[in-house]
Amino acid sequence: MYQHDVLIIGAGLAGLRASVEAARMGVDAAVISKVHPIRSHSNAAQGGINAPMTDRGDEWEGHALDTIKGSDYLADQDAVELMSREAGDAIIELEHMGVIFSRNENGQLGTRRFGGQKVARTFYVGAITGSAMLQVLYEQAVKLDVNVYEEWFVSHLIIEDGVCHGVMAMNIHTGELHMIRAKAVIMATGGAGRVFEPSTNALICTGEGLGLAYRAGVPLMDMEMIQYHPTTLAGSGILLSEAARGEGAYLLNAEGDRFMKTYAPDYLELASRDVVSRSEQTEINEGRGIDGNIHLDLRHLGRTFIEERLGYLQEVALEFVGIDLAESPIPIRPGMHYIMGGIKTDVNGATEVPGLYAAGETANVSVHGGNRLGANSLLDTVVFGRRSAIAAAEYAKSAERHSADEAMLNAEQQRYQALLDRPADLRAGAVRRDMGESMVAGVGVFRDQDSIDAATARMKELRTVFPRVAVDNKGKVFNTDLMSVIELDYMLDVAQAICAGANARKESRGAHFRTDMPNRDDKNWLKHTLVYKDGEGSRVETSDVTITNWTPVERVY
Amino acid sequence: MKYAFYPGCVARGGTPELLVSANAVMDRLGIEREEIVSAACTGAGVLQERNQKLGDALNVRTFALAERMGVPIMTICSTCQGVMSQANRRVLRDPEYLAEINEVLAEEGLEYKGTTVIKHLLWVLVEEIGIEELQKTFTKELSGLSFAPFYGCYIVRPSDALGFDEHPERETSLETLIESTGAVAVENSGKTQCCGLPILLINQSNAIQMVSNHTGEAKDLGADAMVTPCPLCHLNLDGYQPKAAKRRPSGKIDLPILHLPQMLGLAMGMQPKELGLQRHIISTKDVIAKAAAAPMAVS
Amino acid sequence: MEQTLRVKRFDPENPGSAGYQEYTVEVTDTTTVLDALLTVREEMDGSLAMRCSCRASICGSCAMRVDGQAKLVCKTRLNSVSPDGATITIDPAGNMPVIKDLVVEFKPFWDKMKAVKPYLQPEGVIPDAEYLVSDEDMVHLVGVVNCIQCGACVSDCTVLEVDPNFLGPAALAKAYRFVKDPRDGHQKDRLGALNESSGVWDCTRCMQCVEVCPKDVNPMGRIMAMRDMTMESGFNNTAGSRHTESFAKSVKKNGRLDETKLAVDSMGMFNIPAMLDSAPVGIRAMMKGKFPWKAHKSSEPEKVKRVFEKIEGE
Repeated sequence: MYQHDVLIIGAGLAGLRASVEAARMGVDAAVISKVHPIRSHSNAAQGGINAPMTDRGDEWEGHALDTIKGSDYLADQDAVELMSREAGDAIIELEHMGVIFSRNENGQLGTRRFGGQKVARTFYVGAITGSAMLQVLYEQAVKLDVNVYEEWFVSHLIIEDGVCHGVMAMNIHTGELHMIRAKAVIMATGGAGRVFEPSTNALICTGEGLGLAYRAGVPLMDMEMIQYHPTTLAGSGILLSEAARGEGAYLLNAEGDRFMKTYAPDYLELASRDVVSRSEQTEINEGRGIDGNIHLDLRHLGRTFIEERLGYLQEVALEFVGIDLAESPIPIRPGMHYIMGGIKTDVNGATEVPGLYAAGETANVSVHGGNRLGANSLLDTVVFGRRSAIAAAEYAKSAERHSADEAMLNAEQQRYQALLDRPADLRAGAVRRDMGESMVAGVGVFRDQDSIDAATARMKELRTVFPRVAVDNKGKVFNTDLMSVIELDYMLDVAQAICAGANARKESRGAHFRTDMPNRDDKNWLKHTLVYKDGEGSRVETSDVTITNWTPVERVY
Repeated sequence: MKYAFYPGCVARGGTPELLVSANAVMDRLGIEREEIVSAACTGAGVLQERNQKLGDALNVRTFALAERMGVPIMTICSTCQGVMSQANRRVLRDPEYLAEINEVLAEEGLEYKGTTVIKHLLWVLVEEIGIEELQKTFTKELSGLSFAPFYGCYIVRPSDALGFDEHPERETSLETLIESTGAVAVENSGKTQCCGLPILLINQSNAIQMVSNHTGEAKDLGADAMVTPCPLCHLNLDGYQPKAAKRRPSGKIDLPILHLPQMLGLAMGMQPKELGLQRHIISTKDVIAKAAAAPMAVS
Repeated sequence: MEQTLRVKRFDPENPGSAGYQEYTVEVTDTTTVLDALLTVREEMDGSLAMRCSCRASICGSCAMRVDGQAKLVCKTRLNSVSPDGATITIDPAGNMPVIKDLVVEFKPFWDKMKAVKPYLQPEGVIPDAEYLVSDEDMVHLVGVVNCIQCGACVSDCTVLEVDPNFLGPAALAKAYRFVKDPRDGHQKDRLGALNESSGVWDCTRCMQCVEVCPKDVNPMGRIMAMRDMTMESGFNNTAGSRHTESFAKSVKKNGRLDETKLAVDSMGMFNIPAMLDSAPVGIRAMMKGKFPWKAHKSSEPEKVKRVFEKIEGE
């Protein structure tokens, strides 16, 4: 039997940062990931990481306010404060670890502007900041000899008497199921973009972390807050970083107009993402789109600048669309990108279940509230990855260790076997696609009761259809077919939770914009939605938003 | 059409039969050429690893000399071709860099204006002279013979420095020439791989294994000979074949390695001595005999 | 329109069934190889094993051989590989053992990365704030950090084909990233280690890694740069460095290469075993009249010498 004091599920930025902290503390910790750490979706983050640098006169309160305003006042202000205060140290630490951040003429860390902020406080590496950071965190994990269960798939979270005691997981290489006992588990499995189609997210972003926690009785908070990124490629959904706009790119409609001046006269293209996406969608819906797209124009930035600072964008444009950004604008549209919602945690990553922690996109502290500012996610991962490791390690000191449980392992084995034994019928891919398209239609940039109801109904139907999803591959080695069915199982739960949240929140706030209730209702809805699994469905409770220094006001860009 | 002929160091040194056969074949085809006698070695990639600018300067000097002669450069060595193509691309993309190099060359009154074209005989035959004209000089049809093409790394990579976009036929130019003689081109997996010469003096074991793999495979596939447009490849594939043979369970390979002009010369009915075929380490007797027995070419 | 893929299958639980399987899918002008493979996996044959994730050429999961050449299939359009729609053959990446179908064992790849100590090793006092370094230095490293560790270079490396001990282009490019980081305090140690066998001198300069890299990392160029740096750092006692020095000396003196001298210098004049070992080759060459007794010169070697002096003096 495998056992550790702390088990971290997910080897992206949050997971690896947690593992590095645990290693530094000398804690017996391990990371488990269904892909090699380098393949984690953190590598797709492009534009940069925010931090207020007080030694440059950028007070942390400025970043905190921008973040809280960006969240449409749904973020818990104590959590935001903490993140803003710790940001500066986090960046320096990353630089000391070796991240090759860009520099200014004095050799200090350089910055660029980003959405929802007037001050340039986004530190970056070209247009590959996520990849550059992930590589460094992995290097540090190598240096500290962190134990990684590489290509192991967690399919079950062990909760005994309401306390988390580890996981059961399949070694993807051998198909063998194992129990891994842990005194504390940190869920750092990222988002669930594959619940939507299209999405900027990788194929691995299937949210089983959210699903596992949900089934363990942990509430998922503010799941209706789904971020549609303003600049994604039609069809594939591939992301083009906000950094383009941060460096001065324009958004143009069919008339060649910089239409953002109508919707956000002050921040223009750098308004918060939900505002920009809605503006774009409005232009498209009112017939001023170009084949259902908007143009992102970088030409005036010049070829040299584009190649040096936004190289990856140019690569994507040339390879995937055949467009040279120095010569031509590129058609983009809003695309599903990030889930502000997630496993409810406190500022130390602790959930309502003792022994279970969460950090990164999977978690909802909440620092992003109703809308996340660009470049705040990378910050979130390292700040809360670190904090959750400290908290989990502390907890593990006095926690019980449970021993092997053959019966439980056998039951999971049988669950797998039952899936393998299903007669050939439906395929996971087809059901996932159906789910994805329905979710974009029902819980999109704009939504209303009808669309939410339609999505809710479809998810219910797909849930009844799920038992018919079978696998071609009955083998043990690298059975991604089998994994895709288990992933689908959890994705359907996540989708249902999203619909429940969207249905519950009777107002518009942040990314949750209801055309039938277009106004923000602070009186009744300055609250978080909490979706708890309840049989096949769910129940929704609410909790108050923590307000410290910033009184909610109307949000104008 | 005239060419500024650049035979390269090895064609004259370690594989003198290449220069001999190339001259014989080019005379038969009536290719007018004048050697750039003042040109230096291209550096073969070795000089470049020590000081890239130095290597580039020597090559740009060669380009300038050819420019002064007013004609394109013709090479008979894959390595020379590749090194020159890469150098040319570097300086054409970076006018400031070219200016720096021109400053050095100004001392001997040279200046490269960027117009020199560099083509291997292989490409000249396919693209400029053309297969039809070439075949008019053939007196033999080498049907019944099979040759395994071996390009040499420097004439196939990097593909964007070698004009493969504008001239996609370059990718299969060697097969085209083999087939023009009536022979069969033997598809082999080592065709665009490395012969091992660059590490011969550094890690002989690996170099020998490469020779063993590529010549052994071609032999097993029934090739009568391997044909290569690169004398550096020839040095290794021919010169070290005896050692490479020891790596095979049978202990034998015995695959003659022909320089491109030698193959063409056989189709032109030239005598072995004219083509320097007696100078090989691996005997060319069998392939010479087979070629001699081949039918006369039908015009 | 239709496109047929011929995919290499291998099931370790049923090794006898290994072979190629053909699938025909509906495609458009913009369909990538990965799109097609996903269609196969999701709609036709769920047993096909392959690694893929981001579909946007940033995660490095999907390197495999397409018509014999390593490519990142998420960014490879079908019509760029097969403009006429001819069947495309897909094999797993080369030089790595196959686990199943298109999934290869990457452990040797990661082990070699770890062998070059792929993490920053600063020396001395750590500043309170950031290290002060130039943007130029950082931007230079972006080119190498663009490496997504996809393994395409390793798949097609001609040295790894004959010598699995070679560190390989990916690990060497990673080593370069740290050698060139001004914040790292162990440049000389790193170069010393890379100077050893299976390091920088074992590259055969075949440019396969340059050709197949989907991110323009130019691994071979980095290896060559490190060869120069090892020599500059005083590591001059390898066959490789002697080879390079001899080459340069010969061209400087004669305008041309003196192959005989090159061979002798590279091995080392007093390296009796090597000399004896090479004797048969040398003798054979002599007997065939291929031994250049006297070095040939270009017509104006002094002009070549002047170029050397000017540029080396810079």
